[in-house]
Amino acid sequence: MKICVTGIGIISALGRGREATYASLLSEKSNIAPLRHFKTIHSDLLSAEVRETNEELIALMGGDIKEPTTRTSLLGMVALDQAYKEAEIEENRPESIAFISGTTVGGMDKSEQYYRDFLDNNSRNEYIATHDCGTCSEMTAERYGKFDIMTTISTACSSAANAVILGANLLKTGRVKMAIVGGSECITKFHLNGFNTLRILDKEPCRPFDATRAGLNLGEGAAYLVLESEESALERGVVPQCILAGYANACDAHHQTASSDDGDGAYRAMNGALCSASLRPADIDYINAHGTGTVNNDLSEGIAISRLFAGHIPQVSSTKAFTGHTTSASGSVEAVISILAIEHNFLPVNLRFKERIEGLSFSPVTNAHQKVAINNVMTNSFGFGGNDSSLIFSRYKKG
Amino acid sequence: MGVFIQSSAQISIQEPLCNNYVTKPVLHDEPYVRAIECDYKAFIDPISARRMGKILKRAIAVSVTALKASNVTMPDAVITGTGLGCIENTEKFLSAMTMEGEEFLQPAFFINSTHNTISSQVAIYLKCHGYNNTYSHRGISFESALMDAFMQFETGSAASALVGGDDEMTPGYFALLDKLNYWKKSAGGPGAMAGETAVAFVLSNEVSPVELSGVEILFKPTADEMNRRLTAMCERRGISIGDIDAIFVGRSGDVDGDRIYDAFCGKFFPDREQFTWKKLFGESFTSPAMGMYVADELLRSDRKPLLKHVLVYNHFQNKDHSLILLSKC
Amino acid sequence: MEQLILDLKQQIIEVLNLEDVKPEDIDENASLFGEGLGLDSIDALELIVLMEKNYGIKLRDPSQGKQIFTSVKTMAEYVAANRTK
Repeated sequence: MKICVTGIGIISALGRGREATYASLLSEKSNIAPLRHFKTIHSDLLSAEVRETNEELIALMGGDIKEPTTRTSLLGMVALDQAYKEAEIEENRPESIAFISGTTVGGMDKSEQYYRDFLDNNSRNEYIATHDCGTCSEMTAERYGKFDIMTTISTACSSAANAVILGANLLKTGRVKMAIVGGSECITKFHLNGFNTLRILDKEPCRPFDATRAGLNLGEGAAYLVLESEESALERGVVPQCILAGYANACDAHHQTASSDDGDGAYRAMNGALCSASLRPADIDYINAHGTGTVNNDLSEGIAISRLFAGHIPQVSSTKAFTGHTTSASGSVEAVISILAIEHNFLPVNLRFKERIEGLSFSPVTNAHQKVAINNVMTNSFGFGGNDSSLIFSRYKKG
Repeated sequence: MGVFIQSSAQISIQEPLCNNYVTKPVLHDEPYVRAIECDYKAFIDPISARRMGKILKRAIAVSVTALKASNVTMPDAVITGTGLGCIENTEKFLSAMTMEGEEFLQPAFFINSTHNTISSQVAIYLKCHGYNNTYSHRGISFESALMDAFMQFETGSAASALVGGDDEMTPGYFALLDKLNYWKKSAGGPGAMAGETAVAFVLSNEVSPVELSGVEILFKPTADEMNRRLTAMCERRGISIGDIDAIFVGRSGDVDGDRIYDAFCGKFFPDREQFTWKKLFGESFTSPAMGMYVADELLRSDRKPLLKHVLVYNHFQNKDHSLILLSKC
Repeated sequence: MEQLILDLKQQIIEVLNLEDVKPEDIDENASLFGEGLGLDSIDALELIVLMEKNYGIKLRDPSQGKQIFTSVKTMAEYVAANRTK
């Protein structure tokens, strides 16, 4: 089955929607700045927040969103709304739709804000019910009508990529005609502090794949893709934007937070995706790497890329220097960026790269204005526990 | 293609890692019951276990026990459903952060707060590099994992899978959910009893006494949609709704919730035998895993020799519904 | 120094949740990581938090931990020399 992408939606520090995202990537302007939306003793830490406050996000959605709500679900709604409209679902609704979302912090933004209240005051108890991941997905999607299947994946930073894989399998096994897949995650004090205790937050703007990299900056955002078969897209009169050509997930099975030295899990995921797409390493034009900017990830991922693509290393960049690490949403945020790369034949640069990592055989993209043909893009998402996923998007050709 | 249940294991509020609940059930009626633990040293050395919360130790113990009872040594996939994830560690980190401030937070609590710690710790323990996934969607977390596993077989991606349903209930989180009237207020009163769940199933395409014939998750289904999905699930297995011999219903004692089960059984299975499991095992986000465990055990036993096809039906707040179809081979 | 070593052993057992390990089981000269107690990089981060919380010692660079946490003895010497509380 040829699985087509017929709609995308995105919100991140780069702005709202495909145009703003593309323009921001082309401008090579950094979006990493001090935290604004919540109070923390770590306010000196840099991050890539979505510009809009919760109130502004609610206004964008027409103002009729009632409490309780969470930032993760609000970000999700903004992205879902774009994807929904692009795929013309309202106009021509397929017989069955699944909504699969990835998140890990879920409603933690409100839990951490009201936790003391939950215990002593009982004035915010409605937010006890919005803590879990599933509730956030339901709040994101419910206003868009009937979904036949709705579930939530929580595999930390690979959540949204795994949602894409599940959606594809739901289509292939005939369970639904359409799958809306992706993820959403807001920055919370909880995981900001969590990453801080692991000492993997850079105090400076992050420098993925640079020899001097010192950690990541957190980002936030949401992105969803509408997946359906070519047959369904043509039947509904919607033009496919590209195809999901292949995908794979594998487990590094090495350590809860660290990647193995040789990037075993990453290698297996990328290799699995190539096999599933029936492509050779030389067919991949661009890899949107996981590239968090931590010492461990970039070396391990870089080694895995060097091993798998030996002799044919494609253009590689991490766009986390623009978006920050959008954690559970990163898989779909970067899937959208990969789709834009195909659409515009452009290579997103790896901002702030200066010096190659010792032991790696490649340097990432530094020139955004090269004329290149981009037909096949691989995008990587690796989560805690060595949960490694790789997706391949390819240019759509009819038939 | 067939997906067969090779083995299973449970840790819950009944005696752990055995089926003593059948003949010597531990009877409970209070609002909140903690799981009966097993001796984890038989599974994990204390140094490896030092950062593991209860949910992780239980998940490893049931996974290893189920694998040992099967022909599968290394599953092709490890898939877990958990409604709340590692809530004990989440609470420790959240509570320290909100009560004591952001200064001296401990990394281990954060690392082990993540939902997919369960699937990944099991994979690390087994050194399993296969497909690894985690679902966290309220009362259908386990069934989502089961559906994913089912599709891994359907698409030919896996020939075996280790599927788990795990939820721990801490006193703190019990008290929070109690404020939302999740639980009964006193022993003997109406309402659900909070329990804890850790169940692992080993599935493979090798024929065994019980087949996993289908699994469906539904979001806010109307009666017509329920009918359509139930019919379609049966048809894919080559049977009709009328061929289902018994229903395992997720009745918990919660009055409003139980009405939904009454309506479902009245509409589709008015004259079929009904079984329940939550009176023995309590309610949790992954309690349906326990329902499947109990149904599988009964099909394997000789206590109800005439049962051929059974359905496990559960719903969560009448929003998320699930159907699991098991068949005796 | 004797008392500090004992205190540190107790704190290490508590913060790293080393079930069934007693202070007398830990040889203050044996290595904490690798062969000895078998601790790893996450434990090292926990020990950094312990030193900060209990002794007011801030380690700017976590890689410094390698020498300091060689054994309980080296840790005690570092604490004795650098403690602010």
